[in-house]
Amino acid sequence: MRRILAAVLAAGLIAGMTTSMTAPAQAQYPDRPIKMVVPWPAGGDTDNIFRPFAVELQKAIGQPVVVANVGGASGTVGEREAKNAPADGYTLFAGHDYMHLVFYAGMTDISYKDFEPICLISATPSVLTASPKTPWTDWKGLLEDAKKRPGQITVGATLGSTSHIFPALIEKAAGIKFKFVSYEGLATRMNAILGGHIDLTDSNLTQKGKVDAGLLKFIAIASEKRNSEMPTVPTLKELGLDIVFQVVRGIMVPKGAPAPVKAKLNDACGKAANQPSFAEAMKLQGTTVAYLDAARYAKFLDKMDADSKVVMTDLGLIKK
Amino acid sequence: MYELLGQGILTVLQLKYLVPLFLGTLAGVVGGALPGVTITMTIIVILPFTFGLDPLQGLSAMTGVYVGGSAGGLITACLIGIPGTPSAIATTFDGFPMARKGEPGRAVWLGVWASFLGGLLGGAFLILTTGPLAAIALEFGPWEYFSLFVLAMAMVAGLAEASFVKGLIATAIGLLITVIGSDPITSVPRFAFGSAFLNDGFPFLPVLIGIFAFAQIMTDLEKLGHPKPEGTMEGAKSLSVSHLKVIGEILGRPFLLLWSTFVGIVIGVLPAIGGSAANMLAYDQAKKFSRRPEKFGTGIPEGIIASESSNNANVGGSLVTIMAFGIPGDAVTAVMLGAMTIHGIQSGPLFVVQHAGLAYGIYAAYILAHPLMVMIIGVGALFILKITSVRLAVLAPIVLVLCVIGAYALNNTMQAVYVLLLFGVVGYALVKTGFPLAPLILGLILGDQIEINLIRSIMTDDNPWLFITRPISGGLLLCALISVVLAVWQHVRHQKRMAAEADTDF
Repeated sequence: MRRILAAVLAAGLIAGMTTSMTAPAQAQYPDRPIKMVVPWPAGGDTDNIFRPFAVELQKAIGQPVVVANVGGASGTVGEREAKNAPADGYTLFAGHDYMHLVFYAGMTDISYKDFEPICLISATPSVLTASPKTPWTDWKGLLEDAKKRPGQITVGATLGSTSHIFPALIEKAAGIKFKFVSYEGLATRMNAILGGHIDLTDSNLTQKGKVDAGLLKFIAIASEKRNSEMPTVPTLKELGLDIVFQVVRGIMVPKGAPAPVKAKLNDACGKAANQPSFAEAMKLQGTTVAYLDAARYAKFLDKMDADSKVVMTDLGLIKK
Repeated sequence: MYELLGQGILTVLQLKYLVPLFLGTLAGVVGGALPGVTITMTIIVILPFTFGLDPLQGLSAMTGVYVGGSAGGLITACLIGIPGTPSAIATTFDGFPMARKGEPGRAVWLGVWASFLGGLLGGAFLILTTGPLAAIALEFGPWEYFSLFVLAMAMVAGLAEASFVKGLIATAIGLLITVIGSDPITSVPRFAFGSAFLNDGFPFLPVLIGIFAFAQIMTDLEKLGHPKPEGTMEGAKSLSVSHLKVIGEILGRPFLLLWSTFVGIVIGVLPAIGGSAANMLAYDQAKKFSRRPEKFGTGIPEGIIASESSNNANVGGSLVTIMAFGIPGDAVTAVMLGAMTIHGIQSGPLFVVQHAGLAYGIYAAYILAHPLMVMIIGVGALFILKITSVRLAVLAPIVLVLCVIGAYALNNTMQAVYVLLLFGVVGYALVKTGFPLAPLILGLILGDQIEINLIRSIMTDDNPWLFITRPISGGLLLCALISVVLAVWQHVRHQKRMAAEADTDF
């Protein structure tokens, strides 16, 4: 009998612990851990950028910030999960430009207007990257080959997202045709390109280590100027393609979050993004810190959305 | 490499990792020893407690559960004659008779030391081959992954005891569950009927908990009130035995030890088969190779050694698959893979290179879990035996409550709990109608991956013959075909033999 009592007590204790963990928000925000939905698989570039940020945000806001990787269907699965979460500030959405693109590609009904911006944190220039098993070493070789074999060179991409649009812009500017294969997120694309199952992909300077080790080839970077970390990689502009393409990432909350919560988040976000340790972590990711507060981020998003519509129309990918 | 391993061991020896590892191993031994509580269930119950820990702490705890559970089952198997987990079924064949003959200590410690040695040999394999296998895994394109998954499903359906057809149907049910919700490539909703809930598909872990833990406990509850088998050793006062002599007995049969370990590792590396098959197969092999097969089942050491060394070696093999390929080796590693994702780690061919510290930390945890397991059983075997006498009427509600909490804690939503309930009922219905659950789980685990890889391969090249003409892919499909033919042949032979035995025996 004593044994039974002890067991029941233990179960009650555990149940009690968990309920207290998830008690409804009544005290001052935040009084429990905050979830940050990253809509891509773990280990990709988005994940690598938001994880160090979550650490800084946690320090600034005084509660654990837990990253949840909700990948799938070009980032729309995580986007939907974040949109449907309660607008109480306990679910953050770690988004980037793909939201505008997949919306116009007709892959989801969710637009950036279903969220409210908190802050923009980073900008990462895209780099056209080739598998070591490809014959060409530079853009010239690639261009010749692509003209000889239209629609044969494979590009791994998250369909409808930035990794699809960036090579598509190159296609259009150079008058060539690639073949796109769905690989969600940079982490899966890396497995595929290292094994030579795809020829090209969009990546960024986070992959510098693999290029130095001869496992990958950088063809060109889509920034205005050459990057000091990789001065040998030419810009697309130098190569005669007028393309500047970077992926910017920021934090949003589901629409309808209370104003004090947003103010608190905006404040904490600003502190976190301007930490020197965050800048240091971003340097490792081939990324620069690009902080905008909520008001300026909102304006930025409006412009980004209009630009995306133009790009998708130009590329003939628009469905909306 | 040895330097990295040394560092890993030093890391895990720190209190902040050693404590979760110890608690995990303890939970594993206890969970493994409790009849009706499987290793999968134990790991599911532990999972939510690891959310707040750092990745290596969480994975250490889970590795501990896995190692401890694979050994814990032998205590009940030897002393009560009921396998604590399915991976200790074959241990009862000789362990229980030996214990009844008055040598309970010898039976238990033969099992413990065989687990220890088999597990460490499995660990050596894990450490030495994960790197090279990961290099091979990089060569796997979408065609090869697709074919590998087909092979895995063919093998698991073939292992189903009841009938091959039921195994195949169960696999298909698992695959169909993954079809519900947005498609993984273009996000088109399927079978969602406009419901936002169905649009997201069924989350994997609640389904797994429902089917494995819930349905299993319900079936066990039906047995409530049935008398326990007679002649149990619950009164055993002492398990003391000369350890040197027992270890000598095991090492005196090097071929048996190595071969059983080998069987365990191979079963572990093959996706989604697991310890319950390893111990039966190793026992069967030991019997076939033995000079005195007729003695098996009467309480001889060979039976215990074969079963226990194989099921712990199997753990090492399963960890290879999850670390090199990012594919779960069985239901336990499926949960571990889920846990890795929760901790932000993408396992796969690049895992060992990119997360060397973590990978070698897991190796170290795996190695260190073995002495911990020996220690825990050494100190607490009789006490653990007392716990196993806790009535199921008490135990079952506790485990059920923990399952529900675990499902809820995944996302802090009630939807996961409803999914758990739904699939608890579905799983129970399937068990009652004689469908095996393992193939269903496999279909569920692999469904999305099969679809994604099929689409990727066709997007890369629209020539369908590539599945056969690419050598690795073709070889894997051929193996799948062979395993189906073998399974059918074995079932036919088995049924004929059953018919013949029925004629002669009575």
